[in-house]
Amino acid sequence: MATTPAPPPVTDKPLIEPSPTPYADPPPSPVGASARRLDGLEKVTGEALYAADFFPREADLFATILRSHEAHAEVLSIDTAPAMKVAGVVGVYTHVDVPGTNRQGLIKRDHPVLVEDRVRYKGDALAVVVATSESAAHAGRDAIRVRYRPLPVVGSIDDALAPKAPKLFPNGNVMGGKRIRKGDADRALAEADVVVSETFQTQTVDHAFLDVEAGIARWDGRTLVIHASGQWVHEERRLIALALGLPIEQVRVIQPATGGAFGGREDLGMQVHVGLAALKHPGKTIALRYDRAESMRARHKRHALRIHYTLGARGDGTLTAAKVTVFSDEGAYASTGPAVIRKASSHATGPYRVPNVHVDVYGVYTNNNPTGAMRGFGACQLAVAYEGMIDRLARKLGMDRVELRRRNLVRSGDAVTTGQVIPLATGVECLDAVMDRFRNGGRPLEPLPPYRRRGWGVSTICFGLGYGDGFPDASRAGVRFTRDGFLEVLTGAVEYGQGLLNMVAQIAAAELGMPIEKARVIWADTGRTLESGSSSATRQTYFTGNAVKRAASELKEEILDIAGTHLHVHPHEIVLRDGLAVTRFGEPRSVPIAELVADGFNRGYELSVKALYKPATLCENFETGQSPRAFITYLFVSHLAQVVVDVETGQVTVERYIACHDVGKAINPQSVDGQITGGVAQGIGMALMEEVVMREGRMANANFTDYILPTFRDVPPVETIILENQDPGGPFGARGVGEPPLIAAVPAVLNAIHDALGVAPHTTPCNPQRVWELLHPEQAEPPADIRFRTAPPHARP
Amino acid sequence: MPENVSEHGGAASPADDSIWHWRCKVNGQIIERDLPASTTLLHALRDHCSLTGTKGACEEGECGSCTVLLDGAPVNSCLVLAAQTQDCQVTTIEAMASGRKLHILQDKFLAAGAAQCGYCTPGLIMAAAALLKQHPDPTPDEFLQGMEGNICRCTGYKAISEAIRQAAQEWPTPPEVP
Ligand code: FES
Ligand code: FES
Repeated sequence: MATTPAPPPVTDKPLIEPSPTPYADPPPSPVGASARRLDGLEKVTGEALYAADFFPREADLFATILRSHEAHAEVLSIDTAPAMKVAGVVGVYTHVDVPGTNRQGLIKRDHPVLVEDRVRYKGDALAVVVATSESAAHAGRDAIRVRYRPLPVVGSIDDALAPKAPKLFPNGNVMGGKRIRKGDADRALAEADVVVSETFQTQTVDHAFLDVEAGIARWDGRTLVIHASGQWVHEERRLIALALGLPIEQVRVIQPATGGAFGGREDLGMQVHVGLAALKHPGKTIALRYDRAESMRARHKRHALRIHYTLGARGDGTLTAAKVTVFSDEGAYASTGPAVIRKASSHATGPYRVPNVHVDVYGVYTNNNPTGAMRGFGACQLAVAYEGMIDRLARKLGMDRVELRRRNLVRSGDAVTTGQVIPLATGVECLDAVMDRFRNGGRPLEPLPPYRRRGWGVSTICFGLGYGDGFPDASRAGVRFTRDGFLEVLTGAVEYGQGLLNMVAQIAAAELGMPIEKARVIWADTGRTLESGSSSATRQTYFTGNAVKRAASELKEEILDIAGTHLHVHPHEIVLRDGLAVTRFGEPRSVPIAELVADGFNRGYELSVKALYKPATLCENFETGQSPRAFITYLFVSHLAQVVVDVETGQVTVERYIACHDVGKAINPQSVDGQITGGVAQGIGMALMEEVVMREGRMANANFTDYILPTFRDVPPVETIILENQDPGGPFGARGVGEPPLIAAVPAVLNAIHDALGVAPHTTPCNPQRVWELLHPEQAEPPADIRFRTAPPHARP
Repeated sequence: MPENVSEHGGAASPADDSIWHWRCKVNGQIIERDLPASTTLLHALRDHCSLTGTKGACEEGECGSCTVLLDGAPVNSCLVLAAQTQDCQVTTIEAMASGRKLHILQDKFLAAGAAQCGYCTPGLIMAAAALLKQHPDPTPDEFLQGMEGNICRCTGYKAISEAIRQAAQEWPTPPEVP
């Protein structure tokens, strides 16, 4: 029998001597630096060229789109002859002139480019007019004679689900749905000590990016080149090619500077229309731009959701069950609707441990504006519900709201709605950080007159980033050195303001020890870059960031290889920093990377690497909606809003705002801060003022006078707290920022109103009229002498 | 027409727009153009002078993207007809930097990360230049009155306020507003 060897004697001396660290302090890295935006200079000087800026410079011919006069009708005839008589008009095209499938739509391709026989919303495109001037094109558009047989307008979910409702599509008005089944929610609710129920209604929201849709296109007989702003140039190329019946290699999409997107450019706007015009007029550059009204009437919107939510708990506040039924207004066409429904249901119970969950989500077609992606993508509406429910439950239990959250937030190793176990859950940390800042900071509060009431509200959310649910999700990127000593990153991803260029450049520069000033980015051009997936779903930092890091680290091996021969040491004994290759041990010796690059090219190295990042998620069990890996990773966020409500005017003012985000690693802290503050502003807009008003299928406020956006007056300086619990799979540990700032902001503001008034809001936006309704539940209508100020007085004469 | 058929369109061509001979000093240069009389200053600058730094977003005076200085005062160029600016002086974002040297506001916007998508930026810089010219050290009220007409959809305003405050601290040593 072998005897156990005696343990080694315990000494203070470590068994292995640590190797000498090359530097006392690690050198500053471009990752984690608030480097200036790579596109900043051209933006502050006005030199950046957005799509509409090409017009005076490039256009040979101008195009415009005729849009439906009716919300729902059979199209009997389109007479283009009067338009052709208008001076300057050189072509009028309808569906018969579209050579391809004549369909668009990101997931469900149900949206005609030019309507064949039936219009389904007051924005459906019927014809494209091409003329020698924009005003001639408009005159031609107005001259086209269209005869319709009007059909009953399906203006709401209730209209659509009514027994005798007209069918909007052959299969009826229910577009689709998704369910989640976990445990036995009905039984758990019956056994719960307390149960709270509420019906929430969220509104239709417009993206309201400032840079209205525009584009130019040219067909030279071989390639159709389109310059227009989207969010996924490679998918746009696929859709344009299909709709126009062109082989994909004959279409090239190039993204100009882009003034915001927020999901609003995920669906095609006028790309196919301007492309069609270009095909019909070879050799001419065609320009097409919307005005604000057309932009708002034509574009898809955020889904309005009606959410019935029942939450059960034990007497000590432990959540036991949630039963959730959701109806989503898909509008006339679904596009990304199926994905929005999935994301909504996957986040139905947010960051809380709920053992029994029963969720049904249905998408319903109406004659309202089509719907699609917008920052938050379904998860945002559900956060309004679950965070509202937690505050209602706290009141009913007489428990502290923060304590109730702490008790139920998922801890590392717990599962969320989809059954996915979260390895690193930091919701509690985020919540504690905002509460700590709130209680130990801020200016002393001004005393309020009795008609003004103050309150604060908190929200904690989690968000699964990427497409998830087994949907293929991949990013490709290239990193290379150029002969003039620049480090170039190539990505198909889109910069629309969020800071993508710096993200990829800083990652590549950090990996290759180059100063950020020596980095540049070639992006979003299907003729020059590889596909990086959409710039949406909070995915680019994680996905393209990883692809860039992979490419850069392989390129680094090549540089180190060359450096070894210059410095006469093993490549692994060299580090790259500040544009130098430096020996790690002994007296540091160095050689400029630029020299190594020049030498590399002379020796025939390509110094160009492409990489793919394609992690897998898993499709859920369709019966239960459960998936061990629904999303690649989760983000945790907590927000706190302090508001003052004027109970006479119904005006809500956000006084103070704190936002804590665990981003894994902030590649560029200034951009992260900017994404958070910008998302909070949009969240305040959604909570308090923004609302698309539809009347019988007509958008009643398709302009910035009546569609109210947050201004300087409405948004306090957001106090941001950035936590960096590194994600093991993220580039440098980064997760992302993107959508969560908006998602967490809406419930934080609503919960603050709940706290101030003692009544809980259930309908968004909580504008003055709705505040009045909350305070006067017994009266249906405010008295005639009350005039709510709905527009802030911000118009300058 | 049979019942429940609706007919739209067939409208005649628009009324002829008479031509206006526009003469104006834009960024220090006399410009003369023949324009349809209904042309706004915004379109005169963008479509007829290729000065596309000035942006249009709502074209009804609600967002401030199109702010330029008209004889030194900020205006929404979408609400002003070119004809109303006859023989006036117009300053646009293109005149703010002198050569390669950025205007202090441009510099601070860049440093603070106040431009994300950048579409609102030219209008904001022009509005801020007018504000600081009038109130080199604006009170919070003066600040809001000067800036609330400009909408930014991306930033949440914090970095913009920060940039303007920092520029104010170095005002009025910077190059004057042209
Ligand atoms: S474009 Fe002039 S104010 Fe909006
Ligand atoms: S930076 Fe995009 S609108 Fe202001």
